[in-house]
Amino acid sequence: MSCQTMPNAAAHPAPKMMSDGVPGEVRVVAFLCNWCSYAGADKTGMNQLPVPDELSVVRVMCSGRVEPTLILETFRKGADGVMVLACHPGDCHYKEGNLRAFCRAELLERMMPQLGVDPARFYFDYVSAAEAEKFSQATNDFVASIRALGGTAPGRYAK
Amino acid sequence: MNKQPKTAVILCTCSGIITEKIDWDTVRAHLAEHPDKPVVTTDELACGAENLEKLAAWLKEEKPERVVVAACSPREHERTFRTLLASAGINPYYLQMINVREQVAWVTADPAQATRKAARLIGAALKRVRHHRPLVERRVPVRTDVAVIGAGPAGIQAALTLARAGRRVTLIEREPFFGGMPVRFEELFPNLECGPCLLEPGMGELLHGPESEHIKLLTLTEVTEVKGSFGNWQLSLRQQPRYVNPELCIGCMVCAAVCPERRENPWNCGGELAAVDGPFVGALPNLPHVDATRCLKLNGQECGACLAECPVEGALDFGDTIRDSVVEVGAIIVATGAEELPVVPPAFAGKDNVFSAYAFERLLAMTGPSGGELVKGDGSAPASLAIVQCAGSFDDAVSYCSGTCCQAALKYAHIAAAKQEGLTVTRLIREQVVPGINAARLFGHDHSHVVRYGGLGDLTVAETPNGRVIVCGSNGAEVPADMIVLCGPTVPGSGTTQTARLLELGLDDAGFIAPIHALSGSFLSPLKGVYLAGTCRGPGDIREAFASGTAAAGVALSELVEGRDLTVDPQVAVVDAEQCAGCKSCIRVCPYKAISWDEATKAADISDILCRGCGTCVAVCPAGAITAQGFSRAMLRAEIEGVLS
Repeated sequence: MSCQTMPNAAAHPAPKMMSDGVPGEVRVVAFLCNWCSYAGADKTGMNQLPVPDELSVVRVMCSGRVEPTLILETFRKGADGVMVLACHPGDCHYKEGNLRAFCRAELLERMMPQLGVDPARFYFDYVSAAEAEKFSQATNDFVASIRALGGTAPGRYAK
Repeated sequence: MNKQPKTAVILCTCSGIITEKIDWDTVRAHLAEHPDKPVVTTDELACGAENLEKLAAWLKEEKPERVVVAACSPREHERTFRTLLASAGINPYYLQMINVREQVAWVTADPAQATRKAARLIGAALKRVRHHRPLVERRVPVRTDVAVIGAGPAGIQAALTLARAGRRVTLIEREPFFGGMPVRFEELFPNLECGPCLLEPGMGELLHGPESEHIKLLTLTEVTEVKGSFGNWQLSLRQQPRYVNPELCIGCMVCAAVCPERRENPWNCGGELAAVDGPFVGALPNLPHVDATRCLKLNGQECGACLAECPVEGALDFGDTIRDSVVEVGAIIVATGAEELPVVPPAFAGKDNVFSAYAFERLLAMTGPSGGELVKGDGSAPASLAIVQCAGSFDDAVSYCSGTCCQAALKYAHIAAAKQEGLTVTRLIREQVVPGINAARLFGHDHSHVVRYGGLGDLTVAETPNGRVIVCGSNGAEVPADMIVLCGPTVPGSGTTQTARLLELGLDDAGFIAPIHALSGSFLSPLKGVYLAGTCRGPGDIREAFASGTAAAGVALSELVEGRDLTVDPQVAVVDAEQCAGCKSCIRVCPYKAISWDEATKAADISDILCRGCGTCVAVCPAGAITAQGFSRAMLRAEIEGVLS
């Protein structure tokens, strides 16, 4: 597939679509590392802070496990937004997996326009096991921004 | 595609907490129409002991091939439900947990939305578990012997702690004697305790006490190679000849007295030793050693003075040779210490009576080059002493505080003034750090003048009619300085650097061995079965050395227990040798050195003992040849498809 035939997010504003037939609903997948971010999501629950319904968590042991192709595949399978949340620098349970995840995220963001994905649909951040408020805030803000961008149409990415 | 495995779904109400938001009846109706036709049960409190029994009975009856549990965080109860599966005769890794309590019920306001989200996540789990594989925890026996590298206070303390627990310890020291730095310090801050007095009881125990049966002390020995992994390390050792038989020598040092050859004494930073000698009086083990480069006999000259006078036949052994050996242990404690970097700025270079902190420490010691007399090089007494603190710290090269120099400087000021009445003592400081209750008392005994200076480049040395002074450029202060002590920064010793390289341990910004976590794991290296003690981890005092030696030994004791096999988590990464392209990217990214190159298969090979299952290698493998068991690409893809369908 050449660059010319790649769908381009900016050139083709996506129509608002939905999953399960609910108008306006977007689908956001968040990859959370088991030790900090997933624990932070748990803490968000313990503190009864809101997390958007549209967010689906996929637990991985380390953010370093999440390769760019997996993120692109997630978009391709129909996600409207993807988050990768990692341990803070220096706090990685596996020493440096979070830093590898960060480097990959930086590169992926630069590649995304070429691949036809709006980089605004991707979010990388550090969330510690204690940062319930940050998790709630980040997920709500990101999902709100995706809602504003709108859902991506089914079939927009070749299957 | 094969027939879908029969899947059981357990829906937990968590005593009604989950069902405040999630309607399990709606979810059950939804699952009844699911193409996989899972069998479903709802439980009031799935983690409860009685309920687990009931669930086990239910699973035994239904005989599912996969199990999905929708309850709370896997961080809390994954093990509980894996045990449940095992008790029902199902492979525990056929389980997938959905965290509907913390991450759905408690964070979603609208019950209809929460119910829908729970159903969505369960649907994803149903897709995921199809790709689960039966994994088996492997058990491997471990060695419980321990090698301790470095016999300073941290290493001694670790060895004694382990020996008291009945562990066999090999204590490896590259110097001809042991005790590390503080045994050469006659007085230790903050209370001016005698260093040898503090250390020698432990050293004596180690050499002659009941613990000595368990401890093999190897002096003049270095580690040359390390192989293996947690529970099964192999250390190659090389011991230099001492030319003295420790079994026979009685330590009378008659040999030293009659030896015609003289050499410099590096341990005292001054004075002389005979070619056969001990570094200073009281050094343990109480044995001389022969400097092979200086001994006349070993260099082919006619000499046998020591042999002629030695009262014990065979105690001197000029046939002694290098001894190579291999020691097999379960754990390694690194206690290789740190050093003072002797910084001499140009303004001080070549000047007389300029000492490093360590050299001054020895000058003050009764066993030092001057027998404890505070004298200048010409033998006369100084009228003034200038102690330059932070001499090289807080600079570009060494940006950090060494933590011990302020207290050491206060100690020098106190001892020097006590040794010589009327001595003018000035401390030149950049910063002053004296933490702790006891340390603060040092100030109470401080009669030195204090001058703050900007940096070493700010200082010059000048001769005046009233004697030598240090001129402080920034404020014009002239500090009388007959004798100058430069307190250099604490830096990693060559032994620490070398040991870190052998073990392939990472270093921190300053070159010390980086622990697995600076706060919660400061005694742990990233390599399982390698523990850290003392100043190989960064600057510290003797209190820290004792504490960390005990701590490292404690961790070794708790992780390696006789008869307790090592359980290897099967959720590790595995390489498909057929698929491996040989790029070795995975070897470079693995934080645990768990991946090695297998020359036979021409493929990467992952040690399941060392792998911790982070999956960084999986993400980096361009050939897709590595699978994270438990978090495989197929599992994650299925889960992603599930949450998006």
